[in-house]
Parts: sequence; C-alpha cells; structure tokens
Amino acid sequence: MTTQSKPRAVAELQDFVRGNTLVHARGNGSKSALHPAAADIAIADLSLMRGIVEYQPAEFTLSARAGSPIAELKAALAAEGQYLPFDPLLPERATIGGTVAANLSGSRRYRYGGLRDFILGASVVDGGGRAYTVGGKVVKNAAGFDLSKFLVGSLGQYAIMTELTFKVFPDAPHFSSLRLRYQTLDAALAAIFFLNQSIFELDALDLLPAADGWSLLARLGGGADALPPRLERIRAALQSETAPQAAEEVADTARLWQPLRQLDAAFVAKVVLPPKRIPALERGISGCQRRYSCGGNIAWVATEDIAALDRALAALGLAGLCLQGDCEKPLLGKAPESILSARVKAALDPDGKLV
Amino acid sequence: MKNAHPLLQALEALYPPERLLTRDAQLLTYESDALTAFHSKPAAAVIPISEAEVIETVRLCHQLAVPFVARGSGTSLSGGSLPIADGLLVALNRLNRIKSIDPEQRIAVVEPGVVNLHITHAAAPYGLYYAPDPSSQSICTIGGNIAFNSGGAHCLKYGMTSNHVLGMKVVLADGAVTEFGSDSLDGCGVGPDLIGLFVGSEGLFGIALEITVRLLPQPERYRTLLAAYDDLGKAGDAVSRVVASGMLPGAIEIMDRLAIQAAEAAVQAGYPDAEALLIVELEGEAPQVEAEFAQLQAMMRASGAFELRSARDEAERARIWKGRKGAFSAVGRLSPDYIVQDGVVPRSRLGEALTRIKALKTKHQLEVANVFHAGDGNLHPLILYDGRQPGALEKAEALAGEILALCIKLGGSITGEHGVGMEKRDYMPAMFSEQELDIMQALRRAIDPKEIANRGKMFPSGEAPALQQRGMHPLERQGVISRE
Ligand SMILES: Cc1cc2nc3c(=O)[nH]c(=O)nc-3n(C[C@H](O)[C@H](O)[C@H](O)COP(=O)(O)OP(=O)(O)OC[C@H]3O[C@@H](n4cnc5c(N)ncnc54)[C@H](O)[C@@H]3O)c2cc1C
Repeated sequence: MTTQSKPRAVAELQDFVRGNTLVHARGNGSKSALHPAAADIAIADLSLMRGIVEYQPAEFTLSARAGSPIAELKAALAAEGQYLPFDPLLPERATIGGTVAANLSGSRRYRYGGLRDFILGASVVDGGGRAYTVGGKVVKNAAGFDLSKFLVGSLGQYAIMTELTFKVFPDAPHFSSLRLRYQTLDAALAAIFFLNQSIFELDALDLLPAADGWSLLARLGGGADALPPRLERIRAALQSETAPQAAEEVADTARLWQPLRQLDAAFVAKVVLPPKRIPALERGISGCQRRYSCGGNIAWVATEDIAALDRALAALGLAGLCLQGDCEKPLLGKAPESILSARVKAALDPDGKLV
Repeated sequence: MKNAHPLLQALEALYPPERLLTRDAQLLTYESDALTAFHSKPAAAVIPISEAEVIETVRLCHQLAVPFVARGSGTSLSGGSLPIADGLLVALNRLNRIKSIDPEQRIAVVEPGVVNLHITHAAAPYGLYYAPDPSSQSICTIGGNIAFNSGGAHCLKYGMTSNHVLGMKVVLADGAVTEFGSDSLDGCGVGPDLIGLFVGSEGLFGIALEITVRLLPQPERYRTLLAAYDDLGKAGDAVSRVVASGMLPGAIEIMDRLAIQAAEAAVQAGYPDAEALLIVELEGEAPQVEAEFAQLQAMMRASGAFELRSARDEAERARIWKGRKGAFSAVGRLSPDYIVQDGVVPRSRLGEALTRIKALKTKHQLEVANVFHAGDGNLHPLILYDGRQPGALEKAEALAGEILALCIKLGGSITGEHGVGMEKRDYMPAMFSEQELDIMQALRRAIDPKEIANRGKMFPSGEAPALQQRGMHPLERQGVISRE
C-alpha cells in the first residue's frame, strides 16, 4: 500500500521526507498525468497546508501556503481589485503549489508575463529534508541565487514548496473581447505578427481552429471610457491590414478565456513553441483538438493518442507536458533536460528522493 | 602565474598575442570596475572573438584550476567584474554581434558582449525596443546585465533583465556547454526555469554565450508628470496614492533636495526648488494613457504638491529625465567621493526608511543624497565623503552598512539590481541564514567544483583586494554614463 501523509506543518513534512526513500508531492491532484502511482512512492499531500500567510494590498505582494486553492487566492485579490497577472491556468481545482510546479500560466500571460515573472520567493523542504527559504518577499531582490524561479516547472523533483510569494498587479476594471475570422492559418498568423509589432496592448491573444478556418480572439483591458475607442481602433487596423472574414465584438466571459474549456479527450497537454512553428505542429498533430494561447506561444492539445503526440513533438524538436490522462511519462517530445538541472538536483536532492 | 604557467602556454596556442594580454600596461584597463575602491591585477586577460574560444578557455581554466572572471564593460558597481589576482580575465566585448532579429515574433538573438542600448537601436526600425534600461545602458553589456539581473527606471511594468530572457546557451564553470529556454515567449516553458536561475548568478555559474531576448513594441504615448513637494514624506505618500489607485505607471522616481540641487547644477533641468521631486510616467495606448493622466494630475494636486509640471512634448520629457538620470554623476560634483547603495524596502515602508536614513546621516555627520526607484522600493542613497581625509571612507562605509542593515530589518534586501559582488558579500549572513548560504554554496560547488568562476564574490570569504580611493567611473567623469 502506498504511504501517504497530509502534513499540516513544515516539520511534519520534513519528517516525512526524511523517513521515506521516494517521495512525491501532490496538491489537489487536478493534473492527473503528473502523479506517478507506484507502490514504493510515498505521497506528500499538501492540501492541508493552505491559506494566505500575508497579503497587504498596498504592498502588491501575496504570500500563501503551497496547498492553497487558486480560487481562494483569486477571490482575495479580486476583493482588492488585484490579480495574478500570469493568470493561473486551472482556477477551479488547482493549488498554487501545483500550478508553480507544472508552470501553468493562462491566456492573460500574454500581457505582462508568466508565472516565472511574478514569483518572488518560496519556502521549501528539499530532498534532504531541509527546510529553508529561497528568493525574497520584496518586488526587487538581486541578492543570492534565484532558486525561486527555478522551482517554476520543476515538478516537485528538487524541493517541495510549502509557501510561495508573488508580485501582484492592479487588475483592469473593464474588458472587451474581439473575435476575428481568417480563412487560412497563414492569414491568422499574419494578424498575430501585425499585432506583435503594433502599439496595441492586448490583455490576451488566442488562436483556435474554427469550422470555416481560424478564429483569433483578442482581449483588451482598461478604463471604461477608453475601452470603446481602443476597441474600435484595433478593429479598424486589423480590418485594413489583415483582411479578416469577420471582426465582431463578443461577450467577454471567463469561459471565453479558459483555454482548456473545449478540449475534451483522454489526454490534455501543454506544448511550448514560437508561433512560426504552428504550421509544422499542425501537420504533425492533425486530428487533435487544440488552442494556441499567448499570441501562439503555448499550445494546449487534447488527444486520444499520447504516444503519437510524443513522437510528433520529438520529431519537431518541441517540448510538451501532459497534464491530464493516465500516461507513463508526462514529459513529451524534446526533453528539457540540461546538465544544469542535474547539478541542481545533486545539491538539493542528492539521494534522488523526490520524484 | 608566470609565462611558464601551463595555462598561459595553452592560451598562447589559442590566442594571437594581440588578444592575449599579459603586460602590466595592457592589464591596467581591467584592474577594477565601477566600484573603484577595489583594484586587483589578473595574470592575463584574453579577448575571445568566438564562442568556441570562450568554451576552450573555460575548459582550460577548469582543467588547470585557475580562477577566471568574465567581463563585459566593467561597469559593475559592486566589484562583480573585479579580476582575481593571478587569475584570468575573459573580456567579452568583441562577442558583440546581434545574430538575428525577428520582429514578427519580437525576439532577438545576441552575443553576450552586445551593449544593452544597441539592441534597442537594432529593433527601433520595427517599432520595437529592449525594455530593461539601466542608466549605464549606452555602455553595459547583456552579459553583465544577466549576471546581475539589471534593471532601470522603467522596469516597474515589464520587469528586469530576467523577465526579458527567453533562451540561453552557456558554458558552465567546468566547461560543460548547455542550452535552455526557447524562441517561445514561454521561454523554458516545460521543465525548471533555468533562465531564472542563471540570471542573477553574478558570473559564478559560468559564461553566457548566446542570449535570446524578447522585444516589446514602443509605447504609443508617454505622459510624464513632475511634482514638487516641500517635504520628502509627502512625496512618499503620493507614491502610495498612485500605487493604490490601480494605475500601473512605467516609472515612479523620487529625488531629494541634495540630488535636485546637484542635478540642477549639472544639467540645468529647470527643476523647481523643492525638498523632494516625484516623477511619474505613464505609457501605453493613447486613449488609456490620456484618461489616466487626467486622473493622475488630480491625484497629485490633492497630494500636497506645490508645483506640477507635465511634459508637453518629447523634448520636455527628455529634460525631466535628463536631470533624474544624471543625478548621480551630478552628486559626484558636490563631493570628491561617494558610495552608492541599492537596498530595497517593502514599498509601504519607504517613508519609514527615509526618516531613518535621515537620522543615520545626522548620527554619522555625513551628507546623503537620495535618488530612488520609488515604485518598487529600491533605494539609492549616495553617501558623500572626502576620501582625502583619514578615516572618511571607513565612516562612510559604516553608514552604508547601517543602511543595509535597516533594509534587512524592514523586510527588504541588500541589493535590488547592483548585485552582491565583492562589496556586499559580508552582508550576506545578515540577510540569509547559515543554512540558506550553505545551500547556495552547495549549488555553486555542484556547478563549479573547483570554485574558479568569479571566486571570492557573493559569499563572505577570503581576503579582499586593497581598498582604495573611491570615485567616479572614468566614463561618468566624461559624462558618457550616469548612475541610478
Ligand atoms: C554610471 C553607472 C550607472 C549604472 N546604472 C545602473 C542601473 O540603472 N541599473 C542597474 O541595474 N545597474 C546599473 N549600473 C551597474 C552596471 O552597469 C550593471 O551592473 C551592468 O549590468 C554591468 O554590465 P557590464 O557589461 O559593465 O558588466 P561587468 O561589470 O563587466 O560585469 C558584471 C558582472 O557580470 C559578469 N559577466 C559579464 N559578462 C558575463 C557573461 N557573458 N556571462 C556571465 N557573467 C558575465 C562579470 O563576471 C561580473 O560579475 C550602473 C553602473 C554605472 C557605472
């Protein structure tokens, strides 16, 4: 039987790590593909280590325990007109620790940056069972090595996060969304490239296949008075420069900007790519459901055949991460392995305990 | 290290004589960086012109256990690029090619010796720019920026160097070459964020060989407001108001009386006679910026400013910034020597920090000018002293130390952007626990078992090179660059 512990305090987690040979950390388990299920792996369930530790709206920083549900953090921030600009991908069930470990930023990442750009510090228990903090709590800090950024995407394999501190921003009070239709992928990509070099400051920009071609969803955030003229300007510019089939304002709902919403298959994966590689990826994964987020820099792909996706990504030299589904290895395609990660592993988890 | 040293012999096979410097006169240029109080003579300096040469050089150093220091333009304010006595200095200025610019995907691939501002120049024809703007940007290199995660006045909204790097190729201190990140805006995207770890490592992990940076579109509109106050505290409170309003300005800067006077004397910015000046700049789409600017003006009027000026055109904007950006070199004119610190305090404790610094300067009977990135709590107190007077430097350093201790006590950091280097290494134990320092050391040794990359920096240890007279960087004296 698998050993499992639900520590409430750091010391308990330290004991658990010290007392087991192989340890895997879990938040709420919302990303099923990321949790190995071998009998010899002890599970550290972080879901009871939750709650906001420190949040002073005037400081624009927030510290929370790693098991805190994203929804709880979002609600506390929204009450003060603030938000996490990296836009955590799975707001309902995910914990903040799991979101950091898997590096999952949502569509609004496009405006100011991703998770790595907003993490300031963390408290961790490493593979040696040692508890310490990395990074800091102020918005600017150049002292020491920045291990907090390293934790982003680390899948709990170097250290288990127990507390995280982020920089937050004031949120825009109003939003408008625009849907543009293009007949071909090339035309839609040309529109993205046009926008990339334009003065328009989009909150989000996603690309998705539609029945008769491609849809480009653009979102603007800002003050109520300035928003309508801004939307009109961008629509006019896109109409004259990129010749869409249609350019209509659509209701700006949370659903519209939830990139995984229509992806429904046995496996769901994230793929990292520059927008110019989208045509190649399209050829490699035909038949999969997908949405390109953040101006075409992140692909969310749903598939029934994860092995085929893995092979396609490897052939293209792209890296991916399977989030949902019962798969053997979540890392897909080109392995993001670097000798530098191996060196960090040797320092933080010399016994190779954390998996 | 004599010429008979095996490293020099090996380097002779790798470099022609004009790129392998060993004579005292040739090495003089490299003896210190912008922390001019420290000097140290390397055994040799090499000037590689290719990635392969850098890699081979590092491998040789590793094999023969000879310490090396990478150097960009030598503008480090913390002694980061100070050579190691009898070690090797690797000057990267000639690795200065911008390899490619892709305006459609808004990325540029550059070599480490490329000067920060040159990326912006190359991107300008496409309406793009490279955002991090240290005041030294006309001379400092991307490699140096990476080592310190450098920032500038305009890093409030889009972040510092680390936030603009998407991919890297590096040679680690043991000669292993590795690449991480990608051409995607998501950078490392899958797997640990190695970019975030490497940026800010102060040259202790190895040498960056190739860097992919993201570019941003130039904002459509800038609106710059200058507000004058008869009290420094009022300016600090005004910052809190701006921040609390939900606006996200591109820059929020404060100067105190001494800094204003100096700037006035140096560049005749036409600043009002005031105890404190606050500069707030909004940037972005015109309709949004204009709407916010009206709101900002009303807010500043209510904040007790006795005078408000808004830049009407680009020339006026440039004049407001000229005084601010030149303030440090200007302060240098008021005093033969000064020390600049760059500690950080939580933003809500700025007022408290300024009051305490005032008390400290009275206690030590020294003049302190304050110029700082108020938007992110990054202080830049300039401690004035006359190095010709015996004991003056020590007194100034004592005050600097108390300011750093204050930053830690208020929950901040000893450095926001200048790095620890040689200068602040003894303050690391005050900021980090023994265990935290042990972990950092273990990490460093896992990457650099022989501790040859920038040995003696960041961690408290070893003997410091001779302390000497401080003063302005030669380029500052000439007015080419200025400090923040
Ligand atoms: C007048 C003045 C104003 C300044 N203003 C600012 C400011 O506004 N904001 C700010 O943040 N800083 C500022 N600085 C500090 C300094 O300019 C920055 O730290 C800058 O990034 C240093 O760049 P450099 O090319 O001169 O690096 P150097 O001083 O040559 O080197 C700095 C460090 O980088 C390492 N290094 C260099 N190249 C590489 C590489 N390729 N790979 C790995 N490590 C490398 C060196 O070993 C050293 O530790 C200022 C300095 C001066 C003199």
